[in-house]
Amino acid sequence: MKPILISLFAAILFLPFKGLKAAGIMFISILILLSAVSILKKTKVIDAIKAIRIPEAGRFKAFLIPALLISFLAFPLMLKDYYIDVLIMSGIYTLLALGLNIIVGFTGLLNLGFAAFYAIGAYTYALLNTKLGLGFWTSLPISAGFAALAGLLLAIPALRLRGDYLAIVTLGFGEIVRLVLNNWDSLTNGPNGITGIAPPSLFGVSLGKLNLYYYLVFLLVLLAVIIIRRVESSRIGRAWIAIKENEIAASSMGINTTKYKLYAFAFGTFWAGVAGILFSAKMQFVSPESFTFMESILILSMIILGGLGNIYGAIIGAFILVLLPEVLREVQLYRMLILGIGLVLLMVFRPHGILGGVKGVHFRS
Amino acid sequence: MLKLTSVHTSYDHIKALKGIDIEVDKGEIACLIGSNGAGKTTTLLTISGILKPDSGEITFEGEPLKNISPHNIVNKGICQVPEGRRVFPRLTVLENIEMGAFGAKGKNFHRNLEKIFLLFPILKERKNQMGGTLSGGEQQMLAIGRALMANPKLLLLDEPSLGLAPIMVSKIFKTIKEINEEGVTILLVEQNAKAALRLSHCGYVLENGTIKLHGSGEELLHNEDVKKAYLGE
Repeated sequence: MKPILISLFAAILFLPFKGLKAAGIMFISILILLSAVSILKKTKVIDAIKAIRIPEAGRFKAFLIPALLISFLAFPLMLKDYYIDVLIMSGIYTLLALGLNIIVGFTGLLNLGFAAFYAIGAYTYALLNTKLGLGFWTSLPISAGFAALAGLLLAIPALRLRGDYLAIVTLGFGEIVRLVLNNWDSLTNGPNGITGIAPPSLFGVSLGKLNLYYYLVFLLVLLAVIIIRRVESSRIGRAWIAIKENEIAASSMGINTTKYKLYAFAFGTFWAGVAGILFSAKMQFVSPESFTFMESILILSMIILGGLGNIYGAIIGAFILVLLPEVLREVQLYRMLILGIGLVLLMVFRPHGILGGVKGVHFRS
Repeated sequence: MLKLTSVHTSYDHIKALKGIDIEVDKGEIACLIGSNGAGKTTTLLTISGILKPDSGEITFEGEPLKNISPHNIVNKGICQVPEGRRVFPRLTVLENIEMGAFGAKGKNFHRNLEKIFLLFPILKERKNQMGGTLSGGEQQMLAIGRALMANPKLLLLDEPSLGLAPIMVSKIFKTIKEINEEGVTILLVEQNAKAALRLSHCGYVLENGTIKLHGSGEELLHNEDVKKAYLGE
């Protein structure tokens, strides 16, 4: 029943674009595909494959991580600028997803205005650089710190609220930041944005070239992953998970829930600030339209897609949602459609996200 | 050890506690019985600092608990097992227990863990299972075990028998006695008045936010009013 419904859903989505014939072809081809999958499942082929891999998961991982690192380091040497550009954007979104994952995934506080902190990081550097002439490296801690401060300032009043209500307040905050940037002409130049932002340089070498910039982003993502992993498995991370699981029980364990929720907000938005400065230094231009509500939703989709509360899930989610629209550029008109169908399918077959339910917490025993 | 003197607590306009006095001595089991809405849970929440009293004083080991935040009250040695168990459903049994040691920063970690597994062997058997997959009785055991990780001097138990099968109830009550014999003072809130009074050294009957009666467990068991109202005799 499920495969038929899914194919029907996809076919109906296609109907207004290509007419009955294409929708019919779509219906039949997806149905065949899904039936093949379910037949494979019934014949236990998939079970057999899973059974082989699980005991070797440790060795598999030991091989996978160095392989991934080496290939990511080698990419700029062999890829064209366009691909490097896409990879840089994936890196920036990875930072955003990692940051939001701390707030939503670890601590369970729904935040729908995350783009605001991204904007604050980006605009801080844009203004510091164009108005005061500060360099990238001095601005990096200031931008990230400023975003963290904004996160803290929002969290202090907002954390009196829970669940959906908190989500609405963060959504409102996101819009406020965007509208301020859009209307404060004297400072932010309004909708025209700020141009002429300097790219970073290191020991007199400009990192403005894409392949060098790629390494900067790569390094910061790597640093973020290492730091967030350490924090996740620390006392703070454990408090976050307790709060997400059951706040009343957490406070009866002697956890100061308010304090740790503030930590989560500040730490998560800190990485949005880092992503923001990387974005504005790469584009050398910022304008409010890069930080709309859709951006917040996109980041949220990344971590839900990858699996809430899982660091590697956030990375995978960010890469998929940045790369997929690029891959589908060939079929222009249909790419959002295909993306949508893909997301729906994923949620049907893996409702907790790609890596959802895979535990990342390391408890001492 | 714990002393409440004319404590008033209210939810906005509704007065839930209208001046109650309770005294729990070190090493004893005290119980608080009463019907729904009498203010039993409110009393516990006020002690653990989640609700602030309008007036009156609460002291623990001679020290007033006014203006101390809930997590610091836990660190002073008052640990609450909240109503309805509230285990962490997606953490394993062992992780749940480990979380209990958060406030104590892992002090006496291994000794406490051994003690808990001795009290509740079933938890050792299921230590790698998710908390949410345990039965109601096992979750109650887990909640009590988790609270013990914080090295409590005073354990507040909110309706540990709620929704459990009779055989599980008597098992839980037996364990409460064992925990008490190891030197932990216990304040028990119960609807199951008979079982609670049999276990307790002293009892308080709460009605509409005031203490109607108090005395030793034995006395209350034989009190005519208590018998009529709570024991169904």
